[in-house]
Amino acid sequence: MTESGPTGFGGTTLAIETSCDDTCAAVVRGRRILSNVISSQRAHERFGGVVPEVASRKHLELAGPVVDAALAEAELTIDEIDRVAVTAGPGLIGALLVGLSTAKGLASRRELPLLPTDHLQGHVAANFLEPEPLDPPFICLVASGGHTLLAGVTDHSGFEVLGETLDDAAGEAIDKGARMLGLGFPGGPALQKLAEDGDPDAFDFPVGMSNGPGLDFSFSGLKTALVYKCRDLGEEGVESNRADLAAAYQAAVVAQLVDRLERALAVGQWEAVALGGGVAANGPLRAAVADLCERQGLRLKLVPMALCTDNAAMIAAASNWSEPLPWPEYLTFDAFATGERA
Amino acid sequence: MRIIGFDTATDDTVVAALDGDRVAFEFRGSAGDGQRPTHSADLVPAIEEAAAALGGWGEVDRLAVGVGPGTFTGLRIGIATAQGIRLSSPVDIVPVCTLVALALSLDAPADAVRVPVLDARRGEVFLAAYDGSGRELFEPSVGGPADLFGRVASAFSDPFAAGPGALRFRSDLEQAGLDTPGPQPESHRLSGSAICRAARTLPVAPTKEPIEPIYLRAPDAERWIDRRPGAGS
Ligand SMILES: [Zn+2]
Repeated sequence: MTESGPTGFGGTTLAIETSCDDTCAAVVRGRRILSNVISSQRAHERFGGVVPEVASRKHLELAGPVVDAALAEAELTIDEIDRVAVTAGPGLIGALLVGLSTAKGLASRRELPLLPTDHLQGHVAANFLEPEPLDPPFICLVASGGHTLLAGVTDHSGFEVLGETLDDAAGEAIDKGARMLGLGFPGGPALQKLAEDGDPDAFDFPVGMSNGPGLDFSFSGLKTALVYKCRDLGEEGVESNRADLAAAYQAAVVAQLVDRLERALAVGQWEAVALGGGVAANGPLRAAVADLCERQGLRLKLVPMALCTDNAAMIAAASNWSEPLPWPEYLTFDAFATGERA
Repeated sequence: MRIIGFDTATDDTVVAALDGDRVAFEFRGSAGDGQRPTHSADLVPAIEEAAAALGGWGEVDRLAVGVGPGTFTGLRIGIATAQGIRLSSPVDIVPVCTLVALALSLDAPADAVRVPVLDARRGEVFLAAYDGSGRELFEPSVGGPADLFGRVASAFSDPFAAGPGALRFRSDLEQAGLDTPGPQPESHRLSGSAICRAARTLPVAPTKEPIEPIYLRAPDAERWIDRRPGAGS
């Protein structure tokens, strides 16, 4: 059985993903999604951000029901599962360990192969799934509350990091901006809605590192600029300019993402562009990237939202092109947190 | 009854297999001093060995899992593993309070009130009191050692306190006048077979429901938010 050929593993994979605040399980057969269950933890809204301990507690409650739901929706029983894939990192270590322990217990009891999978490879591999799968080579811009990177994808089993954020993630910058403008968490949808009534040119926010030649991102300067702008305007000034501030701030985030993407396209031979991560839901970003692709004659692949945000189908997809760990080799396998792996 | 029992709520990973009264398998994994606990790497291999010692999974009647109190990440590794096994193949799971199991692990005088003590970090302890058969006399609690030891000392005559938390707060224990074994770690350790023994008489968890941990402490973020002015609704 070849696992890493061009078509990947064609059997049935049960996948579990718990790296942040979504408890996810999916069943995928080859490139076809049989189920993709995402239980978003609303518990974090009142904290204004993801609280790792709260996330881990929720994962423990939801992991079993989510796996049951994924099997039920796929109309399969556990007997029909060929292997188990699970996010091994990067992410919140306590959260990852809930998913990994669940997966190890589940796989080991049946002596099924286990596929510990990289979360970011998952975001890239979401594009390999039906309908209309996108195969390498392509550039994937992954932007969410936890990560911002440009992935150069030349084969199914890995990617090259062309650029990544040096400080905040794009989604984090959006959430922080939204909070400063009095919006709830997560801030993306609310900021976008508020921005619809605003003028993106009303304020001038810096597009991070726009003069350097690199492909890395930086959002901390933008965030600071908003802090100063709000201070200068005063409480009443902010209140009467909220929509314009939202529009200009969002535009600066989008401009930086699109700028780096455009630079990356200029230095390589790419035929297609894909978007992943929660920020891929952002309307102005989608529009700007679509415009860029049209100008350059590139194929643009936009997966459905359920495959952009964290999900387990993408983990199964990534695992289709990696070598499984046979039982009992994986029994001692451990997770790795963000920043832990060399 | 054949039971596999395990606990990861303390720094140790303990796993055992009990066949009637016979201990068929007993394991303890400990991280080196100052190292991150090795629960995730140690637990599943030891569970597989425990199953093999009973003659394979088909021979296993019950799975007993320590549900804390203890380290949050640790106890979740044990519970998630138990839930994963149950998702794979139906099995009765018996949640066991880690403090009961510790009480049953102790080499205490037969009629003494047993006070298992765990280190709860931040200068606090998890503690409870049981009789020799594991009947609860003082409910699992978290708090400062001086306060909790004092309350136990005044509630019972000659209580016998031991466990990792008793080792750590030995001087507070002595000040409160509680009886405790010497400082050798062996006299203070949780054993996997005690988890199994406790599970013989405890109820099986509902099959389709998540196993409930005993945290005793809210997440920090929740405590902060509750302290904000106007909070509490
Ligand atoms: Zn992600």
